[in-house]
Amino acid sequence: MKIQQMAFMIVAVFFFFVLVGLFFMNIQFRSIKGSAADLQKDQTISSLKVIADMPELSYSPSDTMTVDEDKLKIMSSNFSANYNLFWPVSSVEVYKVYPSFKVAKKCPSVNCNFYEIYNNGQTDVKTYSAFVSICNRVKQLGSIYNKCEIGKLVVGVKTNA
Amino acid sequence: MKKAQFNFVWIFALLIGGAILAFAVFGATRMGNTARFQSDTEIAKSISIITDPLQSGFGAGSFGKMTFVQETRINNICFSGKFGKNEISVSTKSGVGKPWNLAGGATSIHNKYIFSSEQNSGKEYYVFSKPFSFPYKVADLIFLTSKDYCFVGSPKGVADEIKGLGIPNIQIGNCTNANATKVCFGDRNNCDINVYGSCVSGCNSPYDFGTVKKGSLTMNYAGNLMFAAIFSDKSIYDCNVKRLMYRTARIAGELYDKSDLMNARGCNTNMGADLSEWRGLVFNSGSKNLIPLSSIAKKMEKKNEMELCNVWK
Repeated sequence: MKIQQMAFMIVAVFFFFVLVGLFFMNIQFRSIKGSAADLQKDQTISSLKVIADMPELSYSPSDTMTVDEDKLKIMSSNFSANYNLFWPVSSVEVYKVYPSFKVAKKCPSVNCNFYEIYNNGQTDVKTYSAFVSICNRVKQLGSIYNKCEIGKLVVGVKTNA
Repeated sequence: MKKAQFNFVWIFALLIGGAILAFAVFGATRMGNTARFQSDTEIAKSISIITDPLQSGFGAGSFGKMTFVQETRINNICFSGKFGKNEISVSTKSGVGKPWNLAGGATSIHNKYIFSSEQNSGKEYYVFSKPFSFPYKVADLIFLTSKDYCFVGSPKGVADEIKGLGIPNIQIGNCTNANATKVCFGDRNNCDINVYGSCVSGCNSPYDFGTVKKGSLTMNYAGNLMFAAIFSDKSIYDCNVKRLMYRTARIAGELYDKSDLMNARGCNTNMGADLSEWRGLVFNSGSKNLIPLSSIAKKMEKKNEMELCNVWK
């Protein structure tokens, strides 16, 4: 009888500790998920400047957050296929802000308003954006100057749902 | 009969109690290791993130310091295929059991070039960056060091840059720290590292490109890759230079296409042929080819500066 009681007691104590362990593991895994999401958010926000200032997009190293429209045209073509693993984010798009538009129209096309530089096709993507200048060097009426307009760099990152 | 029952109860209780205790100790140890692995993995990821603002842009460079609570080992592995990557992993020192734990999960960094030893350890790490142009801006080089250095006979430009960034682990001129790695510019004795400049014409300094010698190892450099050669192991240096040359070639291809677009809208440029040739030259190059390539890069830079419609700035 005593052995039976003791056996039941030991099994109960064992299950109690297993449950306590599972409870703590659950808390720990929740904190891992939270810190992974925080790190990803930090990385995406800091990536905005890094991507805008990359030599592949930047108009001039001396002007931060300024992208080159010629480079946008090239990078939104097949040229960027080589860069697949290079981007630290899921998608990179550059929108022309002015004149305002209701329907986004992908470049190259007539009256287009956004360039899709990279998209790895992931769903559940959260986007972050920053304003940039879109510039190119033009020659008009014999004078050469930098022509710039306002744009918006939008990067997407997969959400950890 | 009573004695036998007492013995059996005690033996049974001891066995099961021992098993539960062993299980609990095993579980606690595993959880401790998992927590440490998690923390080390987070640190590796954080290193990747905190080096983002160090990408210096147009400036001469930027500097940052990382301080850890306990002694930390940072491992840097470089892979050179195409754009390649740096894989950063971290392990922390423990007062219990083995001093160094297995490294946490590695973070792959494809768009940065981190120059360091393959394995560094310390509580304080100094991180600074310098832009690399060849002849157009290619990337920002990131240098990660934990040791002290002393630069002897450095040219004014290098000394001013180091002083300007306020990097505390690099002394210029008189070496008061006996444990510091002595880096000498030119042919001097009793040095750990010697830097030899090779630039003779059209240079800002003879050290615009040249060679860094570490014992029997020789590393050719161009521009700010001089710092990379000083602060990193040869394997990391050669691998990162190969990655940089691949990216230089890719950007040359992009600039070639850009020159076509510029010509099409009347903003004419003659850089197309140079860029096409340059792309072919740098595509499969490595650190060995840096000195002859530097002379060509300087000529291209001058030609681009002369143009009204510059392909790059």
